Order: sequence, then C-alpha cells, then structure tokens
Amino acid sequence: MINLVRAEWRKVITVKLGWGMLLGALALAALGVVAQIASNGNGGNGSPVLPLSAAATQRSIAASAGSAYLFSIVVGIILITTEFRHFTSRPTFLIEPRRGRVIVAKVIVAAVVGIIYGLACAALTAAIMEPWFAALGVSIGWTSNGVLLSMLGDIIVIAIFAVVGIGVGVLVRNQIAAVIGALIYLFVLEPLIDIIPVVKNAYPYLPGAAGAAITGASRGNLAHLTAVQGGFVLLGWGLLFALCGWILTIRRDVP
Amino acid sequence: MEGRIVASGLTKVFGEVKAVDDLSFTVEPGSVTGFLGPNGAGKTTTLRMILGLATPTSGTGTISGVAYAHLPVPGRTVGAVLEATSFHPGRSARNHLRVFCAAAGLPDKRADEVLEWVGLTQAARYAVHGFSLGMRQRLALATALLGNPRVLLLDEPANGLDPEGIAWLRGLLRHFADVDGRTVLISSHVLSEVEQTVDRVVIIARGRFIYEGKLADLEGASGGVVVRTPTPDQFATAVASLNARITPRADGSLAVVGATPEAVGRAAWEAHVELHELRAGSSSLEETFLRLTAEPAAPPGPTP
Repeated sequence: MINLVRAEWRKVITVKLGWGMLLGALALAALGVVAQIASNGNGGNGSPVLPLSAAATQRSIAASAGSAYLFSIVVGIILITTEFRHFTSRPTFLIEPRRGRVIVAKVIVAAVVGIIYGLACAALTAAIMEPWFAALGVSIGWTSNGVLLSMLGDIIVIAIFAVVGIGVGVLVRNQIAAVIGALIYLFVLEPLIDIIPVVKNAYPYLPGAAGAAITGASRGNLAHLTAVQGGFVLLGWGLLFALCGWILTIRRDVP
Repeated sequence: MEGRIVASGLTKVFGEVKAVDDLSFTVEPGSVTGFLGPNGAGKTTTLRMILGLATPTSGTGTISGVAYAHLPVPGRTVGAVLEATSFHPGRSARNHLRVFCAAAGLPDKRADEVLEWVGLTQAARYAVHGFSLGMRQRLALATALLGNPRVLLLDEPANGLDPEGIAWLRGLLRHFADVDGRTVLISSHVLSEVEQTVDRVVIIARGRFIYEGKLADLEGASGGVVVRTPTPDQFATAVASLNARITPRADGSLAVVGATPEAVGRAAWEAHVELHELRAGSSSLEETFLRLTAEPAAPPGPTP
C-alpha cells in the first residue's frame, strides 16, 4: 500500500498541474481575503457592516480562503481523469490489479494534496491579515475570535473536496466534462436548489453548503448547519464519493 | 506451466457486438508468438482480458495457470504494452518509469537501466510530449521491462519503429525467448512485420479463432504454383526463363513462387516435361494470411 501511495504522490509532483493549481488556489484565497478586508474597511454604501474588530468579520475573512476548494476539487478530478485520458490507467492497473487499492492510494494522496493546499491558503491568509490589521490598528483574535478555527475549517473543506474530486472523476471519466460538471454544480445547480421550494430544505446538506457551514462563509438563504454538523456531512460526501469511485473502478473495465 | 498463457473460450460482448467470440489458444514459454489479425479483429480486447483490464463476458484467460489478478507479483511476472500511448505528456521519461518503480516496489535505478536497454538514456529528462512514435514505443517497452518479467505481451510493438528499430526489437525479443526462455506474445495486423520474428502464430479474425501453429506450417500451406513432376531437374531447366523460385514441398511436389500456373504450364509443355499435377497455391505467406482472415467462413488451418 505504501508503494502505491508513493507512486501516486510521484504522479502529482512530476507534472506541472499540481503546482499551477496551487498558485490558482492561493490567488483565489488571497482575492477573497483582500476583497473582504477592503469592503469591510470602508463600510460600503452606508450598509450596516460589522467593524473589522468584530469576531464574525474576522472569522468570515479567514473563511473566504476556503473558496480555494474550487481548485482542490478540480485537482482531485484531474488526478484520476488524467489516468483515463492518457491511458496511464493501463500500466497502473497492470502493476496493481487489485484496483480498489489504487483508488485508496489516490484518495490518500488527494487528501494530502488538499491539506497542503489548505495549509498554504491559510498561511497566505494569515500573512495578509496580520500586517493589514496591524496597520489599521485592529487586533486579531486568533483564538478568542475563532479565526484559527475558521482556518482549520478551510483546510478540512479544501482537503475533503479533493477527495470528492476523485469520486467525481471516476464517475464521469471524461476530464473536461467532469471539471465543467463539478463547477456548474457548485456555481449554478446548488444555488438553484437553494431557491426551489421544498427541495431547498435539503440545501444545507449539499456539499457546497456543508463546506460553507464548516468555514462559516456566507452562502445560501437557509440557516447553515453548525460547523461540526457541516464537517460530518461533508465528510460523509467525501466518503460516499470515494466509495463510489472504489466500487466503479473495480466493476468497470479499465479504459 | 510457468509462463504459459492460456485463453479458454474467451468471449467479450459489447452491446450487440461480439468483439471476441469463444477464443481459445495457448502461448508457450521460450517462443515468440505472433498474435495476428486484421484491425478490429479483437486482438487488443483479447489481450486486455488476459491482463485483467477487461472482464470477459465468458471464458478465462490465465498466465502460469492463474488469472492475472491472482498472480503473486504481477508487476514482476508480466510486462505488457497496450498501444504506446500510456504516458502523461508532461512527465519526463525517467519520471514516468520512476512512478511505476515505486508502484512495483523496485529501486529507482531500475528506471535508468531499462532506459539504457531501449536506447532512451539521452531522452530520459525530456517530457514525453516531444517524443516520436518510435521513442514512445521504446518507452512503452521500457515500462513493460521494469519488473524483469518472464512473460511479455506487446500490442503492435513494431508500429512506428523504423527498420533499424524493428531489427533491434526482433533481436531483443528473440533473445528473451531463445536465451532466457521467456514467453513473448506480440500482436500485429501485418504478418510481414513480424514474420521474421515469430516462430508461432495465433490468427484471429472478427473475434474468432482462425489458425494456431508454427509459422513454418502456415508457410507450407501456401506456395505459389504447386507442381508434381517425375523429372524435377528437367522441370527446373524448363522454367528457368521465368525467374521463379522453386522449392520442394513436404509431400514431394514443388512450389513455384513468382510465376502464374499458365506460364509454368506452357514452359513445361514446350520443354516436353511430364507433369502429374499443376495447380495454383497461394503465392505468399501474406496472401495466405489475408485469405485466412478475409473469407467470412474460412476453414481452420492445419493444427500441429
């Protein structure tokens, strides 16, 4: 098993994609953080905005780094669909015909990649917040205001979405279709579900909403789950997608 | 037996199409076996079933008596290439091999060893997207050789190789079979491409079994114009002007390759050579192959 994890890890670090997507994730996280601080700072159009010193504001700023999950789900999808696209699935499953083990290795590596993305995004967020707040003379309640907890939420969300990506990639197989499908779901379908009567009651339990519940990011009209509830729901999604990937990979022919 | 490949009633149905239909054959260690058939005959599907990448609709494929997935260390027992396209274009040749070194639990230096075997040491650091088809074939072969396997299954390995490359591949595969006693199965849709490499052939067409046996026996079944005469020397003199190649056949008749039955008959008549038989055979091995695989209801050829 450790051999397979090493092999999957090498697949990630020997191509440029993982690094490029990391830069993308960092850029998106930074953009979210900067936009939030800037808009909170001037109050904006007279709307009642909480000051930067408020715990909720500080948590919300830290949570915006979690939007990098968009990149981690895409990385998860690409990690697996690249195998089908370039037929590296063949040597992979020739060397390890117990295909389920390969998927387990992939899920482990996807989670590790997600954690690295999450750590990098959280670190960048802290690196932006710290001097900016200091310059404005506002102190950050890293622990007292729950900012660190919110960042931990970012890391968990980003890591789980990478695992979800593996499952999505096995289900759809076609790289472009899987990536576009996942983004359309997260950007269009899930928000739509939020506004359709009756169905919208399921909204808080959907992956995107559960992720938002963990970090405390604002999303959707309904009341969120608590962070811990959201954590369990999203973990459930991650396990479900990983299990789907595992079963389908064993049952279907290797392309 | 160790290293023997056995297909037994292998069948694969895709929707309405029977891609492989009740296919049975055996590939022995210590020989290079050609797996031949026109494009779309089901060769790749058959190899994929033997290698456990595709599940047969019915039938079994075994290597050393067990299904591929049940081999103790498949990566070090069997090396296989299914089309030379199984690379990430952005990964270097050496890194590609090192990924699979890790998966198979082999030391990294093994990657450099196989790169040297296939003559890609100079290209080791370059991303595969810049590789020619011939280089990809060599890298695919290198991947198959990583685990020093005793069984090799190669799908169209000569595809894209230049004549020098084909000669090199021939030498390598002959060495594996003759010196090391390994099992080598290579598929091709062109018999002439592997004619000089293989000693046995398995021929399929439209997913069905056509012929299995020694290449020499298949050759014996063809032979241009078949002539039987009590005076072979006089016959040879009589047809000398035709510039045809005369070879004795196993049953005492002669095979005349490079002339038509009409020309041979006229030359013999003009020289007053007595003939007891004069008929058209297939003029070449390739033609025999085409005849075997083209006719919808081709009778099975001789089996050894």
